[in-house]
Amino acid sequence: MTASWRRWRAGLIFLLPSLALYLCFVVNPFIQSIWFSLTDWDGASKVKEFIGLANYRELFADGLFWQALRHNLVWVLIGTAVPLMIGMLLAQLMWSKPRGFTIYRTVFFLPHILLSTVIGIIWAWIYNPIFGILNKGLDAVGLKDVSRGWLGDPDWALLAVLVAAMWATIGFVFVILLAGLQNVSRDLLEAATIDGANGWQRFRDVTIPEMANVLNVVTALLLIGGFSVFDLIYVMTGGGPNNASQTLATYTFEQAFAQNRVGYGAALSLVMTVLALVTSFIFIRLRERGEEVR
Amino acid sequence: MATSAPAQRRTSREGGPLGGAFRYLILTAFLLFFIVPIIWIWLSAFKAPKEISRNPFGLPEVWRWGNFVEAWTVGRFGQYLGNSLIYAVAIVGGVTILASLGGYALAMLPLPARNAFLLTFMLGLMIPFESVMIPLFYLERDLGLLGTYFGFIVPGIALRLPFGIFLMRGFFRGLPGELADASRVDGANEWQTFRNVMLPLAWPGMAALIVFQFLWTWNQFMLPLVMVQKDELRPVSTGMMFFFGRFTAQRDLIAAGAVIAMIPVLVLYLVMQRRFIEGVTAGALKS
Repeated sequence: MTASWRRWRAGLIFLLPSLALYLCFVVNPFIQSIWFSLTDWDGASKVKEFIGLANYRELFADGLFWQALRHNLVWVLIGTAVPLMIGMLLAQLMWSKPRGFTIYRTVFFLPHILLSTVIGIIWAWIYNPIFGILNKGLDAVGLKDVSRGWLGDPDWALLAVLVAAMWATIGFVFVILLAGLQNVSRDLLEAATIDGANGWQRFRDVTIPEMANVLNVVTALLLIGGFSVFDLIYVMTGGGPNNASQTLATYTFEQAFAQNRVGYGAALSLVMTVLALVTSFIFIRLRERGEEVR
Repeated sequence: MATSAPAQRRTSREGGPLGGAFRYLILTAFLLFFIVPIIWIWLSAFKAPKEISRNPFGLPEVWRWGNFVEAWTVGRFGQYLGNSLIYAVAIVGGVTILASLGGYALAMLPLPARNAFLLTFMLGLMIPFESVMIPLFYLERDLGLLGTYFGFIVPGIALRLPFGIFLMRGFFRGLPGELADASRVDGANEWQTFRNVMLPLAWPGMAALIVFQFLWTWNQFMLPLVMVQKDELRPVSTGMMFFFGRFTAQRDLIAAGAVIAMIPVLVLYLVMQRRFIEGVTAGALKS
């Protein structure tokens, strides 16, 4: 037996357990999702009847699908832009290690480690119409008209949950951007200062391009997360009131497991997947093109 | 140092509106925004239900430790926490072992069709869980995994392998390959080379993986929500939700439960803060 054959065999043996488990429990169900989405299976009957693209046709005519998609878009836009801006602000302020650096960083990141159930209950309480501190605060400053049952109000439910989600995301974005800032060359900033660039110009023309990779990764993570958001919505509103905070993931869950419309649920989940992947792909392409132009 | 000191001073003076006292004002405002809700829930956990709404931010009139005992037993938090621990140990252990082996193979050993393997695992990094969830449920039903601990453990490991493999592959690629060659020249076989020479050097990578994996498993919600429907088997993330459903009016118990659920990760976070943040950063950037 030659040495190279031994190494070749060892490689396969090392990889085999991972590969088997992954193919069986990830790749296989993913492919089955595609097959399910072409059937009208209800999860119980023996045969899965092939119905072609009927689920997808139904989906594009389904008002609830479009409503859920709109909510996802709101979530993606606000839920990406705001954490990036606040995370960047905090990272900039913390860059030169101010006094109390460790305490600030510890606390900023703290909400991110909490269970979504805990985040959900904390914020459901904050928003509670009777004893919630948000309404109490509004009443105290004379804005009694503004106070309401935030999660029960169709106009506000989605935004209210989104605020809770951002409360937990900002610290994560901050920590990664702070790590990215360590790679920005101080000499380059120095040189820009000597050339007469002001703070904003230095930030725009030196810091941002130097951090391009980190920013790309964080934005892609936030985009994908925004299209597949489920936990907090399920915990706080369950998609309600009257579908006002329904997203593609909660709608998929409801169709597949509450209504037993397995085929339709599979179609929904795949549309969501394609949207998430295409969006982050386009985003990365645009960034690359932007880099070239520069 | 001598040269950078004036530069430091200049940047802080030129910081304009973001320098000096104003900076601390913003930082402290955010500090309060992040910490006050958490303190509020901790204080509420010690109060009587009426006191929670009457006096939200004051200290409890009487410290009611009994709330925790009741949440632990009546609310079954002891059981949920135990389950979460079982899931965390099994999934983190499984992912760490398998991803180390697989990552090593993909980084250091000659494999046929290596790029095909990498692309296959890449798929798992990109697709959201929802896209495999529905068939996975029926697969588990047919295999008899629903209603057992394995219903969460097996897919929990499988779904996290791509991430773990890419992370570990990155760490192994950063190690000098000559060390492995030297070990082979000394007569060690591939397993011995991996186990005795390369694995100990990859420890920082494994530590990051373990931390990241633990946080992910502990906070995992949708997977156990779908796959673990027996209450005796629920982890704290979903078990807690059903507890809230049963005890909506007992806000003191809900707060105590939330605090109990928070403690294990919180302690770990405060003790290993640096490793935690490094692990999460490495995890996000290296994938």
